[in-house]
Amino acid sequence: MKSAATMPRRTLVPWKGVLVGLLFGCLVVLNLAPLIWGFLTSLKSEADLFRFPPTLFDFEPTLENYRRVFASGFGQSLAVSLTYSTITVVMVLLLGVPAAYAFDRFKFPGRKPLLLLVVASIPLSLGAAALLIPNYIYFLKLGLTNHFYTLPLIYTAHQLPMAIWIIKGTMEGIPRELDEAAIADGAGHFTILRLVILPLILPGLGAAGVMAFVGSWNEFVASTVMVDNPALRPVQPAIYNFIGYFGREWGPLSAAAILGILPILIVFTLLGRLIVSGLTKGSVKG
Amino acid sequence: MTSRSTGLLYIVPAFSALLLVLFSPVFYGVWFSLHHIRFGTVGNFVGLRNYSYLLTDPTFSGTISRTVFHTSLSVILTVAISLALALWVHSLPPRRGFLVQMIVIIPWITSTVVATLLFKWVFVSDIGMAMSILRMLNLPDIQFLNDPNSAMGLLIAVSVWKRLGYALIILLAGLKSIPEDYIEAASLDGAGAWQTFQHIILPLLKTPLLLVVIVLTLSNINTVESPLVLTGGGPGSATRILAIDVFDRAFVNYDLASATSLALIMFLCNVLLVLAYVRLSKWKV
Repeated sequence: MKSAATMPRRTLVPWKGVLVGLLFGCLVVLNLAPLIWGFLTSLKSEADLFRFPPTLFDFEPTLENYRRVFASGFGQSLAVSLTYSTITVVMVLLLGVPAAYAFDRFKFPGRKPLLLLVVASIPLSLGAAALLIPNYIYFLKLGLTNHFYTLPLIYTAHQLPMAIWIIKGTMEGIPRELDEAAIADGAGHFTILRLVILPLILPGLGAAGVMAFVGSWNEFVASTVMVDNPALRPVQPAIYNFIGYFGREWGPLSAAAILGILPILIVFTLLGRLIVSGLTKGSVKG
Repeated sequence: MTSRSTGLLYIVPAFSALLLVLFSPVFYGVWFSLHHIRFGTVGNFVGLRNYSYLLTDPTFSGTISRTVFHTSLSVILTVAISLALALWVHSLPPRRGFLVQMIVIIPWITSTVVATLLFKWVFVSDIGMAMSILRMLNLPDIQFLNDPNSAMGLLIAVSVWKRLGYALIILLAGLKSIPEDYIEAASLDGAGAWQTFQHIILPLLKTPLLLVVIVLTLSNINTVESPLVLTGGGPGSATRILAIDVFDRAFVNYDLASATSLALIMFLCNVLLVLAYVRLSKWKV
């Protein structure tokens, strides 16, 4: 089945070529079929959707489902999510770079426990359901719910710990001799960060930024609870609301789902390597 | 020269955000949960009464055991499958290995709402792909979501499918850090594949494996979206796990007192897992 060129180099477990091919096929079906099937569904008219046996390509593609989804205000949700995620990436990098710089290059009181807090917060901000309720009642009390800045603020705090960790890891690789040389030339700390370190940590910034973008684009629980003004509602709760609104009409539902993952797929196609490296460096997030 | 406070100055902005969103709400939540709550406003101090009410709640023990069942089975399956996949991908040429990683990571980078929705449409829905194939083979329809056991099975399937890519990437990074010489030396000594795995690879993979177990446990315990989209907790309360229970208490029944106390119990579990995580992870100061 597989030619010699694609045979495993080292065989840890002696699998046969056929088995490997089958396994690969299974993976492709399980992971790509929902995307492809969802995309085809989104282009089908009601009549084609209920046809049996279902057709793969033999149907008249229509943009009717997309038109209905946009008519229900989905375009605004997409714009809102794009704005929120962009603000989050910028804020995460603006706050994360100085913090990572401090943790990597300075000695200050409380450094060790504070860094511990950052590391602990990486998996903790995953605990959306548990943190959400206290977060909700606290923000309610402070009057911080239902503003344009509510969700970017929450996303930023959720994504910051991992960003600090990834960026700090990248800074560790930059020799301190460079800092010392710059200090000898009379540069201040901020100048060193800006002119010496920043140009050298771009891959780390990329990984941290991509993770923050994907994380905030995909966030659902806080997005649902913290704002109820439709003008402030991002994509994920909008898609969830469509489930109630369109019921079993899979045409418009899959159109919304496809539009909802399109930006992630674009980012993934362009920067897939950064996501893998971000995951490995951040070493958490499920 | 650097004054001791320069470093602090650089972390103040980041920590202000973390303090506002992550840390202070926990303290406020604890204070809140110790009071009588009526229509979301704080009344008299009642001590631990909100917590003891939870224990007398007849649905509580069922929710806990379903949560434990869902989480443990999802984690075990994810780890087992991703470990097998990681060993396989590790033996592939780099380009093909990278391709497999990219394919398996797709459900993970997709939001849980969309991933669960598409999964439901393709593999579960009565006019979806899987059912159509069953019907074309003249096999009877299966109504997975109407039966309590298969609904839970399906929820576990979604959890495993969604997080497999994450586990694969972390385990693969762990495998790559094992020096090739170790494995060659073992095979020179006549160790078989299974022996090499058992005595060389597994012990050296212990830390990444435990990290994956902890992160998967955390994210499975805290998942609201997949039961919400897949089953809504049903049929009956068959897939009503802790996270969706907390969510419903707060935002469907508007019972903020029991939701907050339950969320804080969950938070405590999360903290214990995080402590284990911090002990294991290689973090330098």
